[in-house]
Amino acid sequence: MLVQLQGPWSLLFGRLTLSALPYDNPIIVATFIFAAIAGAAVVGSVLYFGKLGYLWREWITTVDHKKIGVMYIIVGLVMLFRGFADGLMIRTQQVMADGPHSTGVLGAAHGFIPPFHFDQIYSAHGTIMLIFAATPILAGLGNIIVPLQIGARDMAFPYMNAVSLWLTTAGAALVMISLFVGDFSAAGWVGLIPLTELPYSPGVGVDYWMWAIQISSIGTTLNAINVIATIIEMRAPGMTWFRLPVFTWTTLSTSVIGLTAFPVLGVALALLGADRYLGTHFYTAGDGGNLMLYTNLFWIWGHPEVYFLVLPAFGIFSEIIPTFAQKALFGYVTMVAATLTIAGISWAVWLHHFFTMGAGPDVNGFFSIATMLVGIPTGVKVFNWLFTLYRGRLTFTTPMLWAVGGLFLLLLGGLTGMMLAEPAVNYTVHDSVFVIAHFHCMVLMITFAIFGAVIYWFPKIFGFPLDERTGKMFFWTFAIATALVFLAMFALGFEGETRRLDYLYDTDWKPMLVVEEAGMILYLVSILYFVKMLYVSLRDRAQNRVSSDPWGTARTLEWMTPSPVPFYNFAVTPQVNARDELAWRRENGLENVKPDHYEAIHMPCNTAVAPIIGVLTLAFGFGMIWRIWWMAGFALLGIIIVVIIRSFDKNLGYELKPEEIEKMENQAELGGIVAEQPARQPITEAEAH
Amino acid sequence: MATKIAAGAETLLWHHGAEGHDTISARTLGFWLYMMSDALIFASLFAAYGVLDNPFNAAGGPIAQQVVHPLEGFWQTIAVLGSVLAYSLATVALKNGSKIGVVHGILGAIVLAVVFLGFEAHDLLGLIAQGDGPQRSGFLSVFFMMIASHGLHMVFGILWMLVMLVQVARSGFTGDVVARLLNLRLFWQFQASVWVCVYVYVYLLGGF
Amino acid sequence: MLALAGCSTGDYRLFHPVGAIAHTELLYTIIDVGVMLIIILPVAVMIGVFSWRYHHSRNATHTPDWSHSLTLEFLVWGVPLIMVAALGYFSFKSIFMVNPYGPTVLESNAAAPLDVDVITTDWQWIFVYPAQHIATIDELEVPAGRNVQLRLTSTSVMNGFYIPQLAPMIDVMPGMRTKDAFESDQTGNFEGFSTDFSGAGFSWMRFATKIVAPADFDKWISTVQASPTQLSYAAFQKLAQPTVNVSAKPAYFSNVDPKLFEKVYDAANAGVVYPVPAALTKSIADVSAQGPQASAAK
Repeated sequence: MLVQLQGPWSLLFGRLTLSALPYDNPIIVATFIFAAIAGAAVVGSVLYFGKLGYLWREWITTVDHKKIGVMYIIVGLVMLFRGFADGLMIRTQQVMADGPHSTGVLGAAHGFIPPFHFDQIYSAHGTIMLIFAATPILAGLGNIIVPLQIGARDMAFPYMNAVSLWLTTAGAALVMISLFVGDFSAAGWVGLIPLTELPYSPGVGVDYWMWAIQISSIGTTLNAINVIATIIEMRAPGMTWFRLPVFTWTTLSTSVIGLTAFPVLGVALALLGADRYLGTHFYTAGDGGNLMLYTNLFWIWGHPEVYFLVLPAFGIFSEIIPTFAQKALFGYVTMVAATLTIAGISWAVWLHHFFTMGAGPDVNGFFSIATMLVGIPTGVKVFNWLFTLYRGRLTFTTPMLWAVGGLFLLLLGGLTGMMLAEPAVNYTVHDSVFVIAHFHCMVLMITFAIFGAVIYWFPKIFGFPLDERTGKMFFWTFAIATALVFLAMFALGFEGETRRLDYLYDTDWKPMLVVEEAGMILYLVSILYFVKMLYVSLRDRAQNRVSSDPWGTARTLEWMTPSPVPFYNFAVTPQVNARDELAWRRENGLENVKPDHYEAIHMPCNTAVAPIIGVLTLAFGFGMIWRIWWMAGFALLGIIIVVIIRSFDKNLGYELKPEEIEKMENQAELGGIVAEQPARQPITEAEAH
Repeated sequence: MATKIAAGAETLLWHHGAEGHDTISARTLGFWLYMMSDALIFASLFAAYGVLDNPFNAAGGPIAQQVVHPLEGFWQTIAVLGSVLAYSLATVALKNGSKIGVVHGILGAIVLAVVFLGFEAHDLLGLIAQGDGPQRSGFLSVFFMMIASHGLHMVFGILWMLVMLVQVARSGFTGDVVARLLNLRLFWQFQASVWVCVYVYVYLLGGF
Repeated sequence: MLALAGCSTGDYRLFHPVGAIAHTELLYTIIDVGVMLIIILPVAVMIGVFSWRYHHSRNATHTPDWSHSLTLEFLVWGVPLIMVAALGYFSFKSIFMVNPYGPTVLESNAAAPLDVDVITTDWQWIFVYPAQHIATIDELEVPAGRNVQLRLTSTSVMNGFYIPQLAPMIDVMPGMRTKDAFESDQTGNFEGFSTDFSGAGFSWMRFATKIVAPADFDKWISTVQASPTQLSYAAFQKLAQPTVNVSAKPAYFSNVDPKLFEKVYDAANAGVVYPVPAALTKSIADVSAQGPQASAAK
């Protein structure tokens, strides 16, 4: 049943041999040493400060949506850094390997990376940035903010939430492992077919790519279910649909997209897996397979995935701009309508990713116009933000800078997106770096939103703000770097440079490549400012403790809890009276009215099940990738057994006493995200009834 | 808690009383959402089937008409529907609080599901034995994938039922157990409706 | 460096189109940008002006509760709608003009079209002139003033056919046939290359496009027809093994199997593949190490 493979295979280690370790590659060895030292430093300091127990009790086994969200964001930021390092290597390789007379170092004929390694790097860059950086960070933000914005105690399914996190982390871990054990896919982040088939990619690279995405996308689907159920079931009294904050609306739309799109990706990859493991013919060129089946299935997921990432970014802008314009969001209802419209249209445009497939003018015309339709609701959103600025009272804090900067990127991305939506134009720039520059405008718009959101909500979660001075330096260096890299890239698109080139034959491209490289170095500087921002803010945190609404002009429900948000969120569920509840209470002088008494709160207990499932899934993925069948088999069996055992668990959670709540409400740090909580006894079945 | 706002009207600012998570209604909603994503999996498979189900993609191998047996499939359909009926009887027993009724209903559902899977395994193994396995052609790949995906759902459902048998026997009808029994009913009906689609699309349209 | 000389029309190749198709494509690029700028420029300026005008310190009018205006709502939906309608019209109109399968802008050309079959291998371009019974590797020579009609297929993986100033991009797929067309009145040399990533040798997958006067073309045909190397399907199968043609050095074949394209197409559909051994993907570095010397010699 299984296909025969090139190369050795053993029962114990599968395809894994010592030669899978790339100890002869100086770049990877250096990275490994760096990672080993950093890893040892982290583990060492955890052990040295005796925080292992704390880490296990308060973080790894947690079911608190805020901690899960923070861990999502940490995973995402680590992967963002890895993806940036890949991007830096791509740019450096291209600027070095321009022209036939360019020299090579480290064993490469041109530049410093040989083709096979370069192909892995750009494939990893795309996969990581979209699926393991942007997706987890936005999932994390949704996790943290949505329950707070709707006045909920928690997510609808706290345990499943933890499982989602650890599945995503297992996927990310597989991508990281591929760096040091074996290869990553060298067939693009989209998995170009039939390049990903065994005859052309006989190594384990494609398997790493496929399983990492497959595992993390299960996590994403579960998370989408959780978010939708939370928003539908757990809204505070008075939180009607048309009082939902726009970020919650966008997260809801995004989750609907995630829920419906990720299964398609799952099928696309599962059929590819069948081809690679069982020798079937879904996507082969011959024997009755169909290449374009993969391409269609992939982009039926792939395009909604774009809006899966873009919509929360729009939601973030819709939160930040009114806060710092001291004004209600203009056109709330049309904003919501526009969000839902974009989500709907996102399903009908996938073919514009391959206008050059050779479809007739009618088919291309349909998808061209469908694609352009997205411009209408997006235009509406831009106008609404614009009119929110109009007659506002603007303060340019760092989150506001990121938001307004993001608007400019959106305009540029929209302009070029409209160009690409025209097949006649698309035929000239389809696979050129013009396309790369276009979608980087969009994903950087998302990145701008992410940084804006992290800085905006940071004081809410941790109880102290991020430093504004270094934050602004971080913004300006990052923004100028973005302009340098991607304006130059647009120019290169018109000069005819195409994607994914390891060696560039045309020396005319040199000046713009140098500009791009300068931008990349500026990005590096901006990362230093980011680190400095974290350091300065942490150092001065004691002087900068903030109250429940650190910006002073926030409008939505989450800013009514103490900062840092206690683990139980709201001591008493708020009654919602207006669209912008906090702004409404402030206007009526009610923002300081506290509940007159507290009642006991029921909380779920922590669980080790979720991280165990994560580890088992990692083992399953690793076993499948290297075809170590016993490992994959035991891991799968383990997951099933753990889930069954968990279903017999009668843990009913615990109860928080009113006195305790009062104490924590008055001293927010006690219930804050970094505080260690006393061991709590689960309630018994008798008490529950 | 009511407070006077500036305008003088009484208004409520805080709402005492627990907002629960993991309630039966949230779990049912969550399960519906899960089924929606699962339905998308089958939708994608049906799309793939639609693409690969033509003589060209049979690559010289058998076409649908030569591998499906609508009559045999009919008996399989009866088995699936019978299994759903048995499970529904278990749900009726659940309403009456009858442990033994639930156990009998589930056992009946399991037996019929195993009969179905026996038919299916016999079919697929027979095809493989005569050299028409999933590696033969694009069409056979998608045919096997379609049937096996549904079969896998049934295997999973049987496992779930076995667990529920133990839980019903051990803890009776607690909130958790009832929620799971209700979701399992949804799941079982879901796989049956998927099978009906498979039967119509693959067996009937392909066989005649 | 002959091929590079063709780029002397300037760095920004897409702004220097050659032939009716490329001209149309550039025209619609400009129209599209123009229409978009009508709306995007004012918005960008307004963001800037509002950011300055309503800055906290300026004590400008502040209307904290103003969040709805029916007129403006109509405007924010209406303006993008009109714009998209205009762009949609231009888009739909232009698709037919440059449709790779039968561009209407080339219909007026009365001269007999030239048929060329394009076959990609890992990682070379093979151009078959079925009527002339010749074939070339990595060189496409066509006469000025005649429409060129291409049929494209691949032996192994997907590629993209692209000559930036001349021909629209089109995918080249194994087991499938796509079409493309272009035409040029002026002679010149242009660089063509694969745009769809096809594996480790992808960066070197280029071909020279030469548009020559009809007389020179006929002369060239007879030279190639006299080439001692012939190309039967059996010879082709050896040729199609994974190879990196580092400096895109052209080769010429006479007496070419006129049904070569169909045979390649049928073979791919019958499951014939040209696998790339794992060792080869990793050793492309060694192959390309000849790069600078080989190109310099050219």
